[in-house]
Amino acid sequence: MKENMITLAIESSCDETSAAILRGGREVVSLVISTQIPIHQKFGGVVPEIASRKHIVNIMPVIEETLQKAKLELKDIDQIAVTYGPGLVGALLVGVSAAKALAFTLDVPLIGVNHLEGHIFANFLSHPDLKPPFMALVVSGGHTSLVHVKDYNSFKLMGQTRDDAAGEAFDKVARVMGLPYPGGPQIDKLAKEGNPLAIDFPQAMKNEENFEFSFSGLKSAVLNYLNSMQQKHIEINKADVAASFQHSVIEVLIAKAMQAVQESHCDTLVLAGGVAANSSLESRLREAADKAGIRFCFPNKLLCTDNAAMIGCRGYYKALAGFKSDYYLNAVPGLGLEDL
Amino acid sequence: MPILAIDTATMVSSVAVADAGKLLAELTVQTRLTHSETLLPHVQQVLEMANTKKQDLEAVAVSMGPGSFTGLRIGLATAKAIAYGLNIPIIGVPTMEALAWHYPVPGVAVVPFIDAQKNNVYTNIYTWEKGEPKAQGDIQVMTIDDAVLFCSQQDMPVMAVGDIAAKKLKARENLPVNLYIGPQHLVMPRAANVAMAGLKRLEKEMVDSVMDLEPVYIRRSAAEEMLAKKQAEAAKAKES
Repeated sequence: MKENMITLAIESSCDETSAAILRGGREVVSLVISTQIPIHQKFGGVVPEIASRKHIVNIMPVIEETLQKAKLELKDIDQIAVTYGPGLVGALLVGVSAAKALAFTLDVPLIGVNHLEGHIFANFLSHPDLKPPFMALVVSGGHTSLVHVKDYNSFKLMGQTRDDAAGEAFDKVARVMGLPYPGGPQIDKLAKEGNPLAIDFPQAMKNEENFEFSFSGLKSAVLNYLNSMQQKHIEINKADVAASFQHSVIEVLIAKAMQAVQESHCDTLVLAGGVAANSSLESRLREAADKAGIRFCFPNKLLCTDNAAMIGCRGYYKALAGFKSDYYLNAVPGLGLEDL
Repeated sequence: MPILAIDTATMVSSVAVADAGKLLAELTVQTRLTHSETLLPHVQQVLEMANTKKQDLEAVAVSMGPGSFTGLRIGLATAKAIAYGLNIPIIGVPTMEALAWHYPVPGVAVVPFIDAQKNNVYTNIYTWEKGEPKAQGDIQVMTIDDAVLFCSQQDMPVMAVGDIAAKKLKARENLPVNLYIGPQHLVMPRAANVAMAGLKRLEKEMVDSVMDLEPVYIRRSAAEEMLAKKQAEAAKAKES
């Protein structure tokens, strides 16, 4: 495999249609993201059927635009990487079907990529000198996991959430508080004006000797608090609720992440996933990492969101290890992070 | 030059290669296996069977719906990427127009019965004039009962076609005397018909763009239906 392989990457797992061109594993030549957030806002969350309908219209223009931006042609593409899970099945199928057909048509290898592994690999794009091994904390709308990345193609899943993902809790709490979708950034913003110690919300599993998480109890606690205040006709301080809720989430994430770092003797902690864009999580993790004398990395804001560049990066390293998908590749909506 | 045709609008997955009005090869399966997994391997196999190099394809024709939302998108995403990768035209063929090719006979009405869930069908009426099928109205969604009644009102023989024509109609009693239902394998969606309809469209340069082609859904998503209903109720409440 030549070093400066041109990878076309495609991502359509949720509400962004994205394509990217990478030269080698680390250089993003072009990245196009077509977001549907404004379309889903009036429904208060992503509507799978509408997302799929947008993907089928956007997919080719997004690919075309990314090629144009890169000043490349189809014949320059050496391989195609595509997200095949986890995500919304109808949405994933658009990207997977298009990637398979394009790989077949151009006679280039096809590489199916796990979206969550992609999020971790986004860090390689933002930090050119970053190399495994390291500990990765993956926090997104659907997942909360700790993964020991031993090498580019060797992972150990330390633990994950037993119920709701952290991002899910953010979105649900935001929804009940009447904040617009997507709720995560709204809570982050509101929390800046509140007191994180104002309300004592639970920090589940924080002191247990494992790497599992649970956020459904916290979510219920916040909802109960809001309900009981409403019944008592006591006006709530939304900023305090946001700050206290966020504080509980972050405390647990930090405790578990640092525990995992210590146990696996890592000298680097990386943050990945949509919730990595949360400014408080990032600054508190950095503090904890500094205190422990380890390196802390997280992707730049654009690469925290769903994007094809990170899929291209992951695809590149899979291809480097000789991995290739066949034309039977299917969408796997419930794909998780596993030991590799 | 040959064209590739794809129909994944229903539970049937079908791929064909045809040239100058002649079917070279076709692969039609109805096995409940997912189209997403098998469609591309089938495209590869049919091209091999037809002894056709993909580089020699002149266009890609694809069944546009109505039908299964997900099925339509699998077919269209595949067709778009092939057309884009080979830099050849894409031809969107209405699923019912292709179905009308089952009975290219003047003097009969071809009425598609495409599954629209919950005992509903997508339907229309096609007749053959001057060697081509012509839609007599707009696509409608109606109950199977209403569709049968609609057939009985036609003053000519009606040939039922479509994925659920045989399955849902054969079992019924008191069918109108002018309604004929062939065996399932003769009335289901077939890529050969999409290819024939596609070749006609290609002759007339009725081609589409991979950049903006979307399936014919007819129905909105359930979430949009619900929102519209809520808004209508709210407007009504405001009025009263």
